Amino acid sequence: MGTVITTSLFDDAGFSVADAEEVTAECDHWFQHVDATFSTWKPESPLSRLRRGEIRLDDVPGEIRTVLELCRSARTITGGWFDPWAVSDGVDPTGLVKGWSAQEALRFFIDGPARGVMINAAGDIATLGGPAAGETFHVGIVDPRDPHRLWGVVAVQDAIATSGLYERGHHLWNPRTGSTDVEFASASVSGPDLAIADAWATALMVGGQSAFERLERTPDYEGLAIGDDGRSVSTSGFVCSPVTS
Amino acid sequence: MKRAPLVLAGTVVGLTGLLSFRTPTASVSLGPLPTTPGTTTTTSPQAGGSGRGTTTTTTPHQGGSGQGTTTTTTHTGGSGQGTTTTTTTPTRGSGGGTTTTTTPATTTTTAPPATTTTTTPGSTRSAIGASVNYFYGVISVKVTARGTTITNVTIASLSDGGNFRSQSIDNQSIPILEQQALAAQSANIQGVGGASYTSAGFERSLQSALTQLGL
Repeated sequence: MGTVITTSLFDDAGFSVADAEEVTAECDHWFQHVDATFSTWKPESPLSRLRRGEIRLDDVPGEIRTVLELCRSARTITGGWFDPWAVSDGVDPTGLVKGWSAQEALRFFIDGPARGVMINAAGDIATLGGPAAGETFHVGIVDPRDPHRLWGVVAVQDAIATSGLYERGHHLWNPRTGSTDVEFASASVSGPDLAIADAWATALMVGGQSAFERLERTPDYEGLAIGDDGRSVSTSGFVCSPVTS
Repeated sequence: MKRAPLVLAGTVVGLTGLLSFRTPTASVSLGPLPTTPGTTTTTSPQAGGSGRGTTTTTTPHQGGSGQGTTTTTTHTGGSGQGTTTTTTTPTRGSGGGTTTTTTPATTTTTAPPATTTTTTPGSTRSAIGASVNYFYGVISVKVTARGTTITNVTIASLSDGGNFRSQSIDNQSIPILEQQALAAQSANIQGVGGASYTSAGFERSLQSALTQLGL
């Protein structure tokens, strides 16, 4: 499936559009490279070949080992609620690759032309700086009951990931029971790293209340989950304000 | 406060699939002619193909002297990697409220699943995939290919709870359109977070179209 990644640059002091285009072109190349490496759709990608057992872990690009290591950490951190190994056909780190690649892409913009950068990988967002001096990025969270509306607005320091059923239907499953039942319509998690936030968002969807309690005890990451009935639950540090026009 | 131009570069990537390595030639322009002064518009049309594809235009109606946004998305043609570059230039006037409506510049034929396939190597051919039920309704995807290279993928039909969207929306533009529309609901946000806009139905219809084309 295709994914759209957008990169937005902000600076109230101005910047060179030519410089911005140069650095976003580097960013483009990075995502193309990630796609070529990690696509489970492309049979020739190193990850696909690894999954088929054609190449060994020692022979894959270092990025794949990095991501699998990150998956292992995420599985531990989330208490197993995020588990890329809980699939029938070998490891599938796809759920984490998008967030990881967006987080990594921020490196192109450090000391770059603009003060603020927001990379939005199909709804999962990694940021650097802010929209203007002394300002923090604000991100609207989609209302899972009506994806054309916003549920609320969150101030985002670093990253925020959202997992939900409303766009892709049931693509989540419980790694412990194999069940596809979920407790929430969507879950959003903010924190310093988009890949980990992404894993947590998935964990909240499948792990429900017990994953939530675990997240509450985890420093730096905060979560919000919205139910089909419109009710929400969030960790104590998650601040979501109403949408203002 | 004068704001610098916002540059938006969009990359179309298929982590679990599609499109990034195949070059769509659709040109998607989101964007109005801003009515506020001080707007710079960057366009880089590179219609690599022969004019295939669809154009979707989003037209924000300015609420007073509010925000104007112009976005031009260009899919570069050729046989290489498909890359979408989107350049957005907002201006911020004194006002706030912006509402967005979407106006299709090109309306699709809402052909039922049917195949138009020619077998001449190197020729352009297309196939419409099976109509597949997905979370919101029924979707079918049209794939155009030249030789063994996919040159365009569009949504041939999209039925959404009785609200038939009779516009052909380049599937890659949907998330951008959605984001633009959502962001326009509030002047105080810079982005929109949500679950990925991809659907299993899209993928399944696509696969059926690819099979028809022998790809």
